[in-house]
Amino acid sequence: MRLLKVYGLITLIVVWYLSSFIIFLPAPHSVALKFALLLFNAEPVLGKSLLEHSISSIIRVLSGCLIAFLIAIPLGIISGWSEKLDDFFSAIIEVFRPVPPLAWIPLAYIIFAGFYSPVQIAQVFIVFIGAFFPCLLSVREFAKSVDRGLIEMAKAFGADDEDILEKVIVPSSLPGILSGVRIGLGVGWMTIVAAEMLASSGTGLGYFIMVMYEVGGRTEEIITGIIAIGIIGYLMNEIVLRVEKKLLRWR
Amino acid sequence: MDTKYAIITIVLSIAVMGCTEGGDIYVVKLSPQDMIKQLELGQIDGFVAWEPFVSKGVSSGGKVLLHSEDIWQGHPCCVVAHVSDFNDKRALKAVIYAHIKATEFIKDPANREEVISYASEFTGLDKDIVTQAMERIEFITFPEENDFRKYFRFLKDSEILNKNLKEIGFEDEDDFFNSFLRKDIYEEVIKNMKEGKIPEYTGKVRIGYLTADLHQLALFVAVKEGYFNETGMNLELKQYRNGVAVMEAFRSGEIDVAYLGGAPATLKRINDDIKVEIIAGANNEGSAIVVQPEIKDVSDLKGKTIAIPGYGTVQDFLLRLVAEKNGLKVVTK
Repeated sequence: MRLLKVYGLITLIVVWYLSSFIIFLPAPHSVALKFALLLFNAEPVLGKSLLEHSISSIIRVLSGCLIAFLIAIPLGIISGWSEKLDDFFSAIIEVFRPVPPLAWIPLAYIIFAGFYSPVQIAQVFIVFIGAFFPCLLSVREFAKSVDRGLIEMAKAFGADDEDILEKVIVPSSLPGILSGVRIGLGVGWMTIVAAEMLASSGTGLGYFIMVMYEVGGRTEEIITGIIAIGIIGYLMNEIVLRVEKKLLRWR
Repeated sequence: MDTKYAIITIVLSIAVMGCTEGGDIYVVKLSPQDMIKQLELGQIDGFVAWEPFVSKGVSSGGKVLLHSEDIWQGHPCCVVAHVSDFNDKRALKAVIYAHIKATEFIKDPANREEVISYASEFTGLDKDIVTQAMERIEFITFPEENDFRKYFRFLKDSEILNKNLKEIGFEDEDDFFNSFLRKDIYEEVIKNMKEGKIPEYTGKVRIGYLTADLHQLALFVAVKEGYFNETGMNLELKQYRNGVAVMEAFRSGEIDVAYLGGAPATLKRINDDIKVEIIAGANNEGSAIVVQPEIKDVSDLKGKTIAIPGYGTVQDFLLRLVAEKNGLKVVTK
């Protein structure tokens, strides 16, 4: 298995080398060198290292996702638990769910224009939108599929609503919560890069790529940014997966 | 408990993101439309932009701290360029002819009223604003080479250029400017015009320009006054958002000739090796630093946030010149 992964990576690099002869694409080694250089050293135009740009993007994503999760998880559990509440929310959710988070970008910049640090808040908001719906749907799905027999049994033993929620529904929804968090982070991460490209945030990987494009002659830097986005996205997913495995071992 | 920490984290992270420390001038990159909006809302302390955005900024509560001619007299700005693949001399002569005629029209005091109407129509702004703006633009027909070289050295010294001239096939700076700023066609047109000859060209020319950029008024006037028609040219106009987009259009073969900033033309000519040549100038100066009213002089810019339209633009350079003269440093926010 592991060996196959290595082969996969090698194939990618070989294809990359070959294409760099045909199309306008810098060779892998020159991109790797640039990556190593810019990771900690400031890039001259923006005066910031790749690490600094990454941290700004990560902070924005985590802030937006945290707010999204704090609302989406309880809401998902409640609407999974009570059919009446689920009906109440479903119309709203069904209308907004199919809207791609990127469609919110211009509106967000207008809504938050008067706030303190409007660009940052708008970007956190866009991440929030991106992370909210996948998380909500995942949690709701699991909360709904709680064994009704289990609830009846708990009731027979004299458990009240609070007990049922705490001891039955929440634990059964845990896998849903974790996969909701994982998907939410993934979508949030994709959204932030696009949001940073559209407005000037001063830092962030999306902004970095856009400025490098505008100034020109910096294809290596652009690919470097793409690689950083890929690595961070992969790591975020991997971390939540590990947590999932650990927490859900009892299953 | 978890929720509490989460909230603290959110508040802290938002606070950290918005934090600034005093000492330098902070720059942010914004589109000119956003600059005006954010200045009004107090999100930025000032901006460097070109007309009509300077006058627009002033009319919405800002004030001009420095006009660009006070920073760098006669600095180059917009130019007319052609993509090297499109090298039909007759076509280029016809374009330059229309451009010179239009510029003469604009500069003739007798046409003042009409020019203001054209300017207002072209930019979609009130006549009061364009009247102010027009006073600050020097319309020209060919840029000064020395000023272009000064700008080139700024790009080189600030490491914004990442290719040297040899890599794109030039011996040295002289060799580069001989090709990049070509005056031969311009001089021929001037000679023809003195003899009363109008260059003729009946083929198609696709000209790109920037939306509502007052510096490029000559193009609009040339169309309206029928100077292109005089040459018999089949003209197709295309609008672009900024100079970078114009250069990309050159690269992808969408346009033959364009009005654009000398800055993106130089920057992308070298960095991306997009082969273009400048055949005429459109204007000098016409930019300014616009600030919040409480900023009295340049030393007040310390610790303030100033917006520029892009890195490596003339406006970026103007701000850096001011900072340098006053012992301040420009850093990105």
